[in-house]
Amino acid sequence: MIEVMGLTKKFKEVTAVDNISFKVNKGEIVGLLGENGAGKTTTLRMISTMLKPSLGTAKICDLDLIKNPDEVRKKIGILFGGEVGLYDRLTARENIKYFADLGGLSNEEANRNIDMLAEMLDMKEYIDRRVGKFSRGMKQKVAIARAIVHNPEVMLFDEPTIGLDVSSSAIVQDFILDCKKRQRAIVFSSHSMREVEKLCDRVVIINKGKLVYEGTVEDLKNENNGEDLERVFLRMVGGKNE
Amino acid sequence: MNSLWGIVFKKELKDLFRDKKTVITSIILPLVLFPIIFGLMGKSAKSSVEKVTKEVKIAYVGEDNSLKKFLASAPNIKIINSKDYQEDVKKGDVYLAVVVGDRFEEKLSQDKMADIKIIYDSDSGDSQTAMSVVRDMINAYKEEVVKNRLLSKGIDVSILNPIEIKDEPLKKEKANEGALVLNMLLPLYLLIYAVTGPMAAAIDLGAGEKERGTLEPLLTTQASRMQLLFGKLCAISVMGIIGTTSSLTGLMIAFKNSPDFFGSANLSLSVGSIALIGLTAIVLNMIFASVELAVSIYAKSFKEAQTYLTPITVVGMIAAYGTFMLDVKNASIMLFNVPLVNIALILKEFIIGVYNPLHISITFAWAIVYILASILFARYMFSREDVIFRT
Repeated sequence: MIEVMGLTKKFKEVTAVDNISFKVNKGEIVGLLGENGAGKTTTLRMISTMLKPSLGTAKICDLDLIKNPDEVRKKIGILFGGEVGLYDRLTARENIKYFADLGGLSNEEANRNIDMLAEMLDMKEYIDRRVGKFSRGMKQKVAIARAIVHNPEVMLFDEPTIGLDVSSSAIVQDFILDCKKRQRAIVFSSHSMREVEKLCDRVVIINKGKLVYEGTVEDLKNENNGEDLERVFLRMVGGKNE
Repeated sequence: MNSLWGIVFKKELKDLFRDKKTVITSIILPLVLFPIIFGLMGKSAKSSVEKVTKEVKIAYVGEDNSLKKFLASAPNIKIINSKDYQEDVKKGDVYLAVVVGDRFEEKLSQDKMADIKIIYDSDSGDSQTAMSVVRDMINAYKEEVVKNRLLSKGIDVSILNPIEIKDEPLKKEKANEGALVLNMLLPLYLLIYAVTGPMAAAIDLGAGEKERGTLEPLLTTQASRMQLLFGKLCAISVMGIIGTTSSLTGLMIAFKNSPDFFGSANLSLSVGSIALIGLTAIVLNMIFASVELAVSIYAKSFKEAQTYLTPITVVGMIAAYGTFMLDVKNASIMLFNVPLVNIALILKEFIIGVYNPLHISITFAWAIVYILASILFARYMFSREDVIFRT
């Protein structure tokens, strides 16, 4: 579903992402683990066609993102951490509908999907209210609905639980597991090994733009004799830092 | 309008119209501000002039003579006894004091020059209004004296007036006066409105989108950056044009309602002029809308956008005030190639009903160049990764 091939991104003199390759299969969650500034967001931005790679490419559902950026964008949904980024003066429905329209959905299709998502995410009560006064959890649900309203086959999560309280984090984590059930290919970036351990099938660890480990969480555990994975991660990124 | 830019355009307009702040500052306020300001200013100026001219309170210092009688004979002049006229003028108890020189009447009867001092308060508008009333009266008295002197010598008064000047304006109608006011004010206001009208929307749709964190999700949709840009640009231009329309409507209402302030300016424009002025206003708004959007998308936040946009406001102001007094009839053809100045000039021509094909084609050709250049600038900004992700 996702095949990243030697992706590289240079910003002037700085190489933010350096020749990274990995694969994500249908129904699989791959954790993209790294410290702040390691290149996780840049990698996800390249996969989602927001940034043009300096070198290398990636295939999403067999579509090359350099040759077919528009087609690629149809296949992906993306959920960002931090600010949810909603239009406060629009209702929840209008927020989601805007992205459905921009995703090329017909009116009927968009409305059907929105009703379905409102049901699924338990938003029916407030779907027609302006989001300005929503709680963080409510906004998070709107952002989730917006990300998948066009039924993407691939989901990208960029540190989606950052700054969230426990219940909002749970909403997001449940949603990620639901995506897995629906056989979507999922990339999930995080700087927390605990979260990756909990959700991911495989893990890609990057440090200073370079890939330093790729494998299953199980393998990583076995290779390090059951040592606490948070420590293993620290050693991996810390060792290279020095 | 189901194209992607159309979806963006419709959404942005809906969003902007739901923003009470934008609606109040760019539509409602300009509509009511001018009528209120000019209405109040005109009223207060008029009422204060009325108050003074109705009863001109003056102090009279010096001998009782024919001048005093002459002044007292005016129905609106009231002579008040004053012990300390300087103090009374200062306090405003009288508007001014007429101080007559020694042996005034005697000097006049001997055909000599007599003197009068008028003590007034240069800081007081009321005092100055009274001054002009009293001066008129003294001048009338003076004329009377001259007439009597000449008559006593057997000479006709008309000897003092060998030439009579008659003003005859080229156009007979009163419209001239209105066109002159309009000629100075309209280009000034249209330029200022074109700069300020789209600004709130441009900041909201560029930097605001970044600050809210909505830009990134937007970039992952099917809409290309050009479609986003175009939809936003159209929405911003529409807001600018609505702002200009409401400001002008407010101004027109002010003109009509406050003749005290503007005088009896008769603002009649032909339909052709109005259409051309409208078209020019649209063009101006589009130019500033795209420049402002380009700058706004570069800024990281609302505040930064406001800071960066200040110099653009200054450029608009310089063009507006620089051309304020410019007389289009004596403007060289070169000036029609100077950005913004040419637009101000062509507006002045439209107002007085001059449609010079050469001037129109030069100005509009340049206008198209400006619009294209500013859209290309905005497009350049939208296509740059370091601008879009500058947070």
